[in-house]
Parts: sequence; C-alpha cells; structure tokens
Amino acid sequence: MSDRQFVIPIGPQHPALKEPTSFYFTVDGETVVDVEPRIGYNHRGIEKAMESRNYIQNLYITERVCGICSNAHQTAYTGAVEEAGGIQIPERAKYIRVFFHELERIHSHLLWLGVAAHEIGFDTMFYYVWRDRELVMDLLEEISGNRVNYAIPTVGGVRRDLQKDKFPKWHKILDALAERTNYYIKVASTEQTILDRAIGVGYLSKEDMIRLSGVGPNARSSGVPCDTRKTAPYLLYDEIPFEHIHVDNGDVLGQVLVRVLETLESVKICKWVLDHIPDGEITTKFNPLSKIQEGEAAYIVEAQRGELIHYTISDGRNMPYRHKIRAPTLANIPSVVERLKGGYIADIPIVLAGIDPCFSCTDRMAFYDEGKDKSWAWDGEQLRRHGLEWYKK
Amino acid sequence: MSIEEQINVVKDLVNEFGEDSVYDTKNPRLYKAFATVKREKLRDAVKYLKESHGFVHIITITGVDMKDRYELVYHLRSGGFNLNLKVPVPKDDPKVPSITDILNGAILYEREVNDLLGVFPEGHPDPKRLVLDYDWPEEIHPLRKEWDVQTIREKVDGKKWGKDVE
Amino acid sequence: MSILTWARTRSPWLIHFNAGACNACDIEVVAALTPRFDVERFGGLIKGTPRHADVMVVSGSVPRKIKDRLKRIYDQMPEPKFVVAVGNCAISGGVFQDCYNVMEGVDKVIPVNAFVPGCPPKPEAILDGVVKLLVSAGY
Repeated sequence: MSDRQFVIPIGPQHPALKEPTSFYFTVDGETVVDVEPRIGYNHRGIEKAMESRNYIQNLYITERVCGICSNAHQTAYTGAVEEAGGIQIPERAKYIRVFFHELERIHSHLLWLGVAAHEIGFDTMFYYVWRDRELVMDLLEEISGNRVNYAIPTVGGVRRDLQKDKFPKWHKILDALAERTNYYIKVASTEQTILDRAIGVGYLSKEDMIRLSGVGPNARSSGVPCDTRKTAPYLLYDEIPFEHIHVDNGDVLGQVLVRVLETLESVKICKWVLDHIPDGEITTKFNPLSKIQEGEAAYIVEAQRGELIHYTISDGRNMPYRHKIRAPTLANIPSVVERLKGGYIADIPIVLAGIDPCFSCTDRMAFYDEGKDKSWAWDGEQLRRHGLEWYKK
Repeated sequence: MSIEEQINVVKDLVNEFGEDSVYDTKNPRLYKAFATVKREKLRDAVKYLKESHGFVHIITITGVDMKDRYELVYHLRSGGFNLNLKVPVPKDDPKVPSITDILNGAILYEREVNDLLGVFPEGHPDPKRLVLDYDWPEEIHPLRKEWDVQTIREKVDGKKWGKDVE
Repeated sequence: MSILTWARTRSPWLIHFNAGACNACDIEVVAALTPRFDVERFGGLIKGTPRHADVMVVSGSVPRKIKDRLKRIYDQMPEPKFVVAVGNCAISGGVFQDCYNVMEGVDKVIPVNAFVPGCPPKPEAILDGVVKLLVSAGY
C-alpha cells in the first residue's frame, strides 16, 4: 500500500461520531482496505475551563458536553463529587435520578433507531419512530420544563420533585411506549429489507472486541457482558430486577436488537421506580461556596452509548483541581475501524451509524482507488444513495 | 467480587513487585482501588495484571499536572473491579513507556495525553496530534498549569480578547 | 414582487452544519422535520450538499479547527444565500465563553441574517426564525 494520502475536504458533519469527524479511506475497487480517523473538531477546552469555576457552575458545563446524554454526564459528575467529598444523598433523590437516567436511555435509543432506519433508506420507519419518541419528550417536558438539558441532578440530591397525583397518567404513557417498542422489535427481526442490509454487515468477533476495549451496546452486540449497571452497580441498580441484554450476532442486526430490547428493560425499570418510590427530602445543603475535602474519586456510569467515567481530584477549595471526562464514543473508535475493513463502500454509513455516534448528518469523504489510481470526493448524501442502488441489484 | 478478593488482588500486585515499586495503595470502597507504580515497572505491572488477574480492559488515561511532577493515572478494569494505577513522571523528563502492544485499546488515549499535557509515549506506533489544531504552536500544552486562557490567546491570536479584557 | 423572489421564498432548501456543537440544537433541528412540527409545509427540505441550498442553519460555538471548514462551506453556497444561527453557543459562545479553543459566535466567521436564542431552542422557535427570515426577504 502506497502512503500517498492527501487532504480530505472536511465538510458538514459525518455519519460518524459525536463531533464532526473525517475519515481517510483507502479503497481497492469497491472494498475498503484501510481507515484512518481524524477527530478534534469539537474540542472546546472543557477540562481546562472546569478548573476555574466552582462546583455548581460546573454543573452547567457538564450538562452541555453532549446534548443527548446530558443527564448521564450530570449523574456521573455529581456522583464523583459526592464520593470525593463524602456527601450522602437522600433515598428519594436516588429514585428520581434513576428515573431520569432510564427515561433518557429510552429517548436516545429511539432516536438512534430512527436515524439507523434513515441510513438504510427506510424513511417511513424514521418518521414513525420519531413520532413515538415525542411521547417521551412530552413526559420529560412536563416534569422538568425542557425537552433537552433537564438539569435534574445537583450536588447533594436533585432539583425537582415528582408529583404523586400524576403517576397514573405516566404509567399509561409508559405502557403505550412498551407496546410501540414491541412492534418495532417485530419489524426489526422479520422485515426482509432490514435483514438484507443488516445481517453479516460489519462483523466483529468477541475476542477482537475485548482486545480493542469496546464499550456499551457496541460491545454487547458481539457477546461481551459489560453493562456497568450489572457488573458494578451504582445508585439503586443492585435492588432493581432487570435483564442483562447481550447477543452473539456481532453485526449490525445485533446492534439493533440490543438497543430495542434495552428500551423495553428501561420501561420496566421506570415503572418499578414509580411503584416503589419512598417519601422524604430531595436534597442536602450545598451552595457555590461549599468546599470539598481533599481527595479523589472515579465514578463510572452506564450512559446510553457505553461506560462513562468522571475522575475528579480536589484540593480543599470550592473548585476542582482536575476533572477528567472520557465519553464512550472515543472508546469505540478502534472497534469501528476494524468493522469497516474488508467491507463495501456501500456499507459505510450504516456501520458508522451502528455504534451510535451522537448525531449523524453528512460529510465529505475522499476516496483513493489504489487499483485505478484515481481519487474523488463524495458527500454523505451521495454515499447513502450509492448504498441504496448497490443493494437494489 | 467481594471486598476481600479485591484487597487480595492489590496485595498480590504489591508482593510481586515489592514495596518500593508499588506503594500507597488505597481501597476506598467496593469495586474501586488505587495504587502508585514506578515508571520503570509500569509495563511489567500491566502485563502481570492482564495475565494473572484478567485486567484486559483499559478505561482511559488521565494526565494531571501536580505542582512538582506530572502524574499519569491508568484506569484498568476487570469485570466490575476498577483499579487505578498512578505513575509519577518528573517534569524535566516527560516521557513514559507505551503500553499499546499489551492493551491495544490505549492507542488513542496516549496520543491525547501527549497532545494536551506533553508527556511523550515511547514506542507508540503513531504519535500524531489528536485533538488540537494542525497549526497550533508546538510548545503550548494547554493542560499545564502555567498556561491560562488569556496567555494562550495572546500567543495564538496575537492579542488578548474576551469579556474580561478591555 | 418578481417571480424569482416569489419562487425562492416559497421553497427554501436548507443545509444544516454542526460547527462544534453539543448536539442538542442539532436534534431539535432534525425534530423540525418530523410529522409533529413539519418544515415541509413551508417548502423546506434538508439537503446534503451546500451547492443545492439557499439557507444554512448553523449551530455550535466555533472551535478553531472547524473555522476554515465553515468558511469554505459558506463560500460553496450559490447566491442569494442566508444564514440562521441557532442556539446560544452560535450567538455568543454560550456557556463556553473563556475557553481556550472557542471563537465565540458564528458571526465572527461569516455574516449572519437571523439569530434564534435558546439552549436548545424548541423546534417551533427554529421554524419561527426561518419563517421570519423569509418574510423579511419578501415572502
């Protein structure tokens, strides 16, 4: 393989990761030979900014690290700060945090299902799924006041309470969601158009996944049992009854099945929380001038895309000395590079969307054909259409 | 895993390498432990943990600028047990041996630490820039404590600007 | 009004660009396509390439690495073109003011015609911004 790589015109964002990203593909005819990822287009300097703001101001920044997993970031941040400072939170606050953690998982998995259907070319399912997702968004807006960025956890507890007289209505909404999710499970496992595009595409074995340290539903679709809620339970997950979902397929169909089955489990957990929540206070006192004792803590949660770690070091002031965040999509890049090698160009959008990067739109990628020694540039829309026509033959 | 098994794993590590190479161990609660390892013994310690106790997953690598030294924290995981190894690095010799051939998942994290803190991984197959801009000046490593926001802006843009500056 | 203006303002084709945003504004922009909010009743479609587009919808505080790409995409759009900046980060940097890698606001890189504040703004607000832009252009 020659090493004549050249500049990729990076355009709008990519069917790839959280940040706008570019990939260098080396191809031979229709087969992908090598991939090199380039990231950093979304680097805003958050970790440095957190060192000069106090713990309550940092809540607003952690929320906006990612808009789809904002509650997961806040849960991990408050957990790390409370562990470093030795703060205990009331029982009712733990139940409310679990409730929002699972509601956000439902909304994120439904979002992914719609986007994956759009990448395959199944636009009808995209519109159906996003219409059903509005049920969850209405529920979230009713409790917290915003569709995204709910700002529920705070250091020492939660900000808002759940009103008991609304519980029957919420049970009905959750039942409607469960029924729609069952319908999508049936569609995903029996509809021939989806199965043709998903079986055998982007296969990665269990040993390779462990070697490359994959996380989240990406790893669980290849058979690795790595759900942090089961292996190292935090908050209340050692008391709640739910299943550990992992399948052995290893391809895109496995990703679809893992995520849809996890949505059903999340609905069950939400209903359990509404039935068992105790009365009590929701927060302990913590204000912007409160100091945290010297110490350090690492806190791991299971966000929608995988395991998320917040590591904080405190030196006795009311600002952190160092705060480190590692988001799950960064850990999935080496495994998606392996999945793409040896596949067709037509499969690139669905394999990249399969690891659930935070949002997928379009981008420009440059192709360098070794055999014919010519190069051209496409954008995501042309790539999608190429994929659809390739599979029609 | 129970907390006795967790304490035994850390004790095994200390016995294997001796008290002067692995020291300052802490077991704050279930599923979490900390230990400090000398830089020269890092590769052997990681290999021993991978082969004898199943630590095949690396979560991330954190770089911290303590006032008199740099410290890299390697977060490893086996099942649910999260073991954090701290490696002190002197400020006048910012290098650390790379563990990419033992744990392949560490390939991107070492590039990030090199980019933002300036600690070079020796033996890494491809130590390019990861997150900063292509024409960012070489000597500015933003996570070091001597660089603050206005100093960086003065160096890169040529002037200080922002809401605190007139 | 001329027939060209009448045709252009009744079929604005949009392109969406994420200039280093946290994705909250982006999912609200995509939610504006779904049956509940529906941008197609105004004649709008989301296209994949800037060469077919009239209106660019930008979100995100602009990190340094993506500044040149944003300018290049803007230059590739044919005249007449408009820019809508969505979200607090695109207006002034949002919560990311005083971060070392952020150029605060899209209007430091390209000229902007409409600002839609919010963090994130609701899909109805984004549609309202696009419609007000069309009205000012002669709808």
